[in-house]
Amino acid sequence: MTQMLSRRGFLKLSSTAAAVASLSSIPGTLGAMEESKKHYKGTTKFTPSICEMCTSSCTIEARVEEGKGMFIRGNPADKGRGGKVCARGSAGFNQLYDPQRLVKPIMRVGERGEGKWKEVSWDEAYTFIAKKLDEIKQKHGAHTVAFTARSGWNKTWFHNLAQAYGSHNLFGHEATCPLAYDLAMDDIFEGGVSRDFAKAKYIINLSHNVFEGIVISYARQYMDALAHGAKVISLDPRFSTMAAKATEWHPIKPGHDLPFVLAFMHTLINDNLYNKKFVEKYCEGFEELKASIAEYTPEKMALECDIPAEVIKRMAHEFAKAAPKALFDFCHRVTLTPQELELRRAIMMCNVLVGAIEQEGGYYLNKSAGFYNKYLGESDAKAPVLKKPKIPAYPKVEVPRIDRIGEKDSEFFLAKKGNGIVTLIPKATLEDLPGVPYRLHGWFIARNNPVMTQANTETVIKALKAMDLVVVYDIQVSDTAWFADIVLPDTTYLERDEEFTASGSKNPSYGVGRQKVVEPIGECRPGWRVAKELAEKMGLGAYFPYQDIEDYRLQQVGDNIDLLAKLKATGMASFGVPLLLQDKKSVAAFVKKYPSAASKVNEEGTIDFPHKIKLFSPKLEAVSKKGALSYEPYKYKEADELYFINGKSAVRTNGHNGNNAWLNNLLDDAAVWIHPKTAERLGIKNGDKIDVYNKYSTQKGKALVTKGVREDTVFAYFGFGHISKELKRAYGKGVNSNSLYSPLVSPNSGMNLHVVGVKVKKA
Amino acid sequence: MAKKYGMIHDNNLCIGCQACNVACRSENQIPESVYRLQVWVKQEEYPNGGLGYEYHRQSCVQCENTPCVSVCPTHASYKNEDGIVLIDNDLCVGCLYCVAACPYQARYVHPVTKAPDKCTFCHESRLARGEEPACVTVCPTDALIFGDLNDPKSKINKALSERVTYRQKESLGTQPKMFIVPNHKGGIRS
Repeated sequence: MTQMLSRRGFLKLSSTAAAVASLSSIPGTLGAMEESKKHYKGTTKFTPSICEMCTSSCTIEARVEEGKGMFIRGNPADKGRGGKVCARGSAGFNQLYDPQRLVKPIMRVGERGEGKWKEVSWDEAYTFIAKKLDEIKQKHGAHTVAFTARSGWNKTWFHNLAQAYGSHNLFGHEATCPLAYDLAMDDIFEGGVSRDFAKAKYIINLSHNVFEGIVISYARQYMDALAHGAKVISLDPRFSTMAAKATEWHPIKPGHDLPFVLAFMHTLINDNLYNKKFVEKYCEGFEELKASIAEYTPEKMALECDIPAEVIKRMAHEFAKAAPKALFDFCHRVTLTPQELELRRAIMMCNVLVGAIEQEGGYYLNKSAGFYNKYLGESDAKAPVLKKPKIPAYPKVEVPRIDRIGEKDSEFFLAKKGNGIVTLIPKATLEDLPGVPYRLHGWFIARNNPVMTQANTETVIKALKAMDLVVVYDIQVSDTAWFADIVLPDTTYLERDEEFTASGSKNPSYGVGRQKVVEPIGECRPGWRVAKELAEKMGLGAYFPYQDIEDYRLQQVGDNIDLLAKLKATGMASFGVPLLLQDKKSVAAFVKKYPSAASKVNEEGTIDFPHKIKLFSPKLEAVSKKGALSYEPYKYKEADELYFINGKSAVRTNGHNGNNAWLNNLLDDAAVWIHPKTAERLGIKNGDKIDVYNKYSTQKGKALVTKGVREDTVFAYFGFGHISKELKRAYGKGVNSNSLYSPLVSPNSGMNLHVVGVKVKKA
Repeated sequence: MAKKYGMIHDNNLCIGCQACNVACRSENQIPESVYRLQVWVKQEEYPNGGLGYEYHRQSCVQCENTPCVSVCPTHASYKNEDGIVLIDNDLCVGCLYCVAACPYQARYVHPVTKAPDKCTFCHESRLARGEEPACVTVCPTDALIFGDLNDPKSKINKALSERVTYRQKESLGTQPKMFIVPNHKGGIRS
């Protein structure tokens, strides 16, 4: 049943006077549209889809009701997430009908960052972009335009456009978030690994605050583990919600997690706590690893990380005892050291050393269709592999990428081309990088907000201002769009269909991508359409051989119409039974289901790993002499400065939804946490207005005096202090943490660093 | 037999994420300036020197013995057959006695209807079609348990038999149907 929800009805029922008063008249926004165009269609039946309020991509479903609006909940078919959503997910409806969202293309008419815009038609927008891209191609080469797209779906469309145009400078947001651990697992395991938190008996967690930076499945699993009596150790300079729920909280010194992990590993090896049989049978490089960490005794490292040696040793002993149900969480944002790659590798190796891999309560290898099918016998039905439309070969680019991925000697060789080192873009625009014979002249940014999410905001803005062309595709005039030449209105996730997805955990799984819950509002268009139409305008239509998203999906499933129907109806599908290679019960169940897989089972009733697990990296050794592990002390701050660290709040993300009315009302100006003793020394009282400053920036905030942070540290939630004046609710409120961070691009991982020195004074 | 709806808020499972708060707003079209439900997060220092967070669900506790109904001169405030305290806007004269009488500060004046409003356990929007209240539906960590206290087999009765609970301001004799599992970190263990 299709329902109509009128704009007038929505306003009456929702924010009433406040919303009417704040109706925006920025060209191109929903608030500036004529009343007659604002009718929305939807369905009272729940439509399964995927959330996009952050990048966790949780499964949801949503319905629209006459005169009521929308209700979003988790998809109950997804057992891992239990049909749940967080506050951000629940607030998606508010984003959909936000008067400040963009629903028509706009073009800059003033200076970059001046906020002067005019509405243009899509055709005018495409014509402008095509002309500018062609000019840059003629003058500097197509490769001087960088294309950044947020993870997943948008990459499919805009990275295809980039390569068809002739640029190989493709990026995602990864180097500001998860990249180091992705690289670490690729190096150690030759593929992705996941964490079986729920079944673990002992978990070590380094600032991975899943109860505020919520991934629904992780939050539920951690809570499950705690409910079942697991011991959770939180090492975090701040008393986070995770620290509060954990069995033990140890306020580790900011930036000094690696010495802790090395000392922990030292104990595992020197106290003979590691699983010798596992290491001998499945690993290589143990002797090199052992030699490389010999000097990092708990006694020495305790002085670095501020965790007593006996505590480190106790934890290592407890951890080994709990194995294989032991889990050293490799964590997620924030980055804790310039040695991010070493840190994440070291963490993962701790799990390897105790053999807590491919068993319940440890790590397991992600089993996509290709991986899973390898273990099936010849006569078994195989997990379906999604197809991609055939496209012509891309034009060849003769020069290296800015991150030199693809070159033999690139320090970032572990990174995938579609991820790239996005943090290098400002540098590659403003200065000559070694081995890169050009500078960047254009930046095409789809649903990414580097002005908010990359460290050292000033450099990012400087680079944007130096570009010949900046195109931003977003649902709002984001902080990055604020500096764009042209802003194209994206659909919100509730208004678009997306390509199907395939992934794997313990067995292969498939997702519907996103499904439309309501018709697109105004003139916003989905990514698959914008990239295709722009390509057609540029004479590159052959690279987009699909009519629409429905046609694309049909090409993905081939003749597997059952899969298509199941995905559309329930939002998800899986294949086979869960498989843990080192778990006898799991292997037995797998063989029962697939009898011809019996030939793969070893004499112990388990299945051998497909590759040796690497405790030493010959490739990293060859490129950077970093095959083993080492600790290189780093000067984060001056003696008279405090450490500044940040973390995620449960009610907003870094770059995207700070302006959401419902979320912004919950926390619009996050305070800076400061220890009572430090506050007293500086003459600061709770609630005081303060300046947080260093050589990069001065940020205005207010103080929260609390024992929940170390004396030598101040903490702030990230995603505050928005820069775009078109984000009227969030503009200028709170401390913008990335403004204070250095422009460092960490060796080998390309990650930004989220620890820096600051001073604090009463404003 | 009539139903008697109640709810448990487990402080050990609650993470203060406000998913309940926003889901309530979304489902019940609560104007931005007011709320039916919030979770107040407070940092505590326990007697043993440890730190913790206490989570307080600020919302109607659905009393059995209801001051808000007792003071209402027009019977606009009433308790329905399932034990849920509701407001009939047509009978309300806007005297706001109920707002003053509520010991839990659970009522506010709706800026559009000008009548008092508060949590109804989603009686009108969800219970009628067999759905749980919006807050319970979305809670990421299952910190909320909802059900029929008259049904011995209900989830809520099972949980009440296994967990230590208390109710706010029990001494007032209001007999709330909102049960709270205290934080074990504070020293209480069931």
